[in-house]
Amino acid sequence: MSIGKLDRRTVLKLGAASALLPALSGIALAQGQSGTIRIWTFLSAEGQSPREVVLRELIEKFTAANPGVSVVVEAQPFQELETKFVAASAQNRAPDIIWMRDTFLDLVNQRGALANLDDELSAGFQSDVIPDLYPVFAEKSVMDGVRTSLPLWPSPAQILFYRKDALAEIGLDAPPLTWEEFIPVAGKLTSGDRLGFGLPTNDNSVSAFINMMTGFGPGIFDAATGQFDVTGPEAVETANVVRQLVAAGALSSTLLNAMGDDIQDQFAAGRFAIVQAFAPRFAQYKSIAAAYDPNDLAVSAWPAFGDRPPAVLLGPYWTVGVSAKSENKAAATAFVEALYTPEASMQWAEVAGLVPDRRSVQSDPFFSTPEAESIAVFNALLDAPGALTFPPKLPDITKVFPIMNTALQELIGTDEDVGAILERAKATLGW
Amino acid sequence: MTTTAIETSVDSSRALHSVARKTKIVGSALVGPALILVVAINVLPAFYGFYLSLRQVFFFADEGYVGLQNYVDLFRDPFAWQAIGRSLVFTFGSLAIAVPLALVSAMGIRRLGNWGSILLTVLLVPWAMSPIVVALLWKWILVPSPGGLVGAIFAASGVPPQDLLTDPVLAMPTLILIGVWRNFAFAAIILTGGLGQIPRDLYKAAAVDGLGAWEAFRKITLPLLAPSLLIVISMLTISYFNEVQTIIGLTGGGPIRQTTTLGYLLYHTGFVELDQGRGNAIAIVMFMINMLLIALYIKILGKQPGAAA
Repeated sequence: MSIGKLDRRTVLKLGAASALLPALSGIALAQGQSGTIRIWTFLSAEGQSPREVVLRELIEKFTAANPGVSVVVEAQPFQELETKFVAASAQNRAPDIIWMRDTFLDLVNQRGALANLDDELSAGFQSDVIPDLYPVFAEKSVMDGVRTSLPLWPSPAQILFYRKDALAEIGLDAPPLTWEEFIPVAGKLTSGDRLGFGLPTNDNSVSAFINMMTGFGPGIFDAATGQFDVTGPEAVETANVVRQLVAAGALSSTLLNAMGDDIQDQFAAGRFAIVQAFAPRFAQYKSIAAAYDPNDLAVSAWPAFGDRPPAVLLGPYWTVGVSAKSENKAAATAFVEALYTPEASMQWAEVAGLVPDRRSVQSDPFFSTPEAESIAVFNALLDAPGALTFPPKLPDITKVFPIMNTALQELIGTDEDVGAILERAKATLGW
Repeated sequence: MTTTAIETSVDSSRALHSVARKTKIVGSALVGPALILVVAINVLPAFYGFYLSLRQVFFFADEGYVGLQNYVDLFRDPFAWQAIGRSLVFTFGSLAIAVPLALVSAMGIRRLGNWGSILLTVLLVPWAMSPIVVALLWKWILVPSPGGLVGAIFAASGVPPQDLLTDPVLAMPTLILIGVWRNFAFAAIILTGGLGQIPRDLYKAAAVDGLGAWEAFRKITLPLLAPSLLIVISMLTISYFNEVQTIIGLTGGGPIRQTTTLGYLLYHTGFVELDQGRGNAIAIVMFMINMLLIALYIKILGKQPGAAA
């Protein structure tokens, strides 16, 4: 065959090859990935906190393995992530990847803003990685049979941080785990300018009152509606405990609208002996300790009511999803998968002191070292019999925390009848 | 009148009309772009906000027309009335301190000459700062432990830490003082300018007539300063009544709603509870109250002798 004269079979072969070429190049791109991925998270890619350091390293590693991909982190205030994401999705300018709280999953799903990850995640990830995640978190990310997000940083969420040195002053190693015993101890811990107990009472996504109520176990949430009985006997008993904590001098009646960050800063400055805190911030609390030895920082479950096991409310926690309108779902999903490699899990644990997402990596010798002591404690809390999550569809999620926080402020700062305060909270919620 | 005179008169009238028309065209061309911008940025969103206030909008999903229901719900809500009351307390509490302080500062600054200008520039820094930065700054200053500036001062004086932002009694006065700190220098600048407009001869004449300093202030300074005072009070009223960022940063509307002003209620309803229909209804009510207050000021201060100046 001469070059100048092609036979019909050769022409057909070339035609078939040219038709296949785009498909083949598509496969190559899918393996290597390309384009820009925009991520909305509360972390900054330039930040210096342990979690920000790890995120930056994971991005560098991902872009080194996928040189065609550019990852852009657009940090957002954490309280606004879900709202901004849904608004941006409606305007077709949503980021490809979104960090969001599990409590908002139902609302965001209702707006159709998240991609179905069952269609996007690789077969290997679905068969090997998802079963390796903590089932309690992994299962809660499936709504109406569809997985739209993956849980990140399994943690006991809002638990108690305490100073061992303060407890030692009254001859204790750890806070008591029933409210009956906890109240007088917290009162005794109030000494000079230091308060025995500090609660954030003004965050829009956290309610110390609900955390305290979980001392009655998961039965406080109605299985059908997801609501809890705001004026029921459990709520009244919880309210009475709050009043007793004030009477014992453990809670200050003039410290009423502190936010989580305020509690953190004041704890570091030595104002509290025990506080409610977000578990993934443990390493940060250690690093900013000013009024005590960081090694004296420890964690505890919440006290329970009666003979129930100590309470651990697993939420709100962070989940990661891909936008339904992402034009680069393949690359975005590949990046999400990169957050869950065994190496990534080790980095989250070693640098940021977080419980690894992949349970299998916990056989690593690191987890037997003193540096991993807090992770072992968190792990024990995750497996504790009193551990529970919020219902998948907690109603009025945008109102319930602020309203219960105002009720808590009223319980701490006024002498008004407990029943009247709870009735008002119930009426405001419309439950 | 001769024919020539009539023709000349008609010609000059036409010329005048032509000049007036050209002036109108040039004026419209100059004002037009700005007007379009104002309509696009302010007027259209305001109308859209009113439209949304008549609808049930939750988490960016329009769930339909509800008529005046958002307004009815708002006015039936006792917390909304409390918020209106607290907005007025915050606004007039701040004005009551900021305006006299600005006036005294303006008079002092005029006496200090160049040093006064330098002092005013320094005092103006808080006004130029972002409200959220102001909130963070004051949060640090007021931390009720030795780590905070005020806490350290209290500790050094042997006074226990004071929860100025979390105590139901102290939170609103603290916010008012921070509001005054932030805005009074801006008011002082305008009043300094206003004082400069008052002819010095009037004071000389008053001195000849035997008027004392207080009488001169009452009979000359205050009346002739009315236009500047009207501007200052109007602008500060709008600023204080609509204040939200420092409240978000400092108290989050608490403790026990003690600093939940109408502005904060708008933020909370629209951006935390995500009830955007009702949030827009609050915005419309705020706009109406603002207009009402300014109309009131114009009625009161507009009657002053210097108001026409």
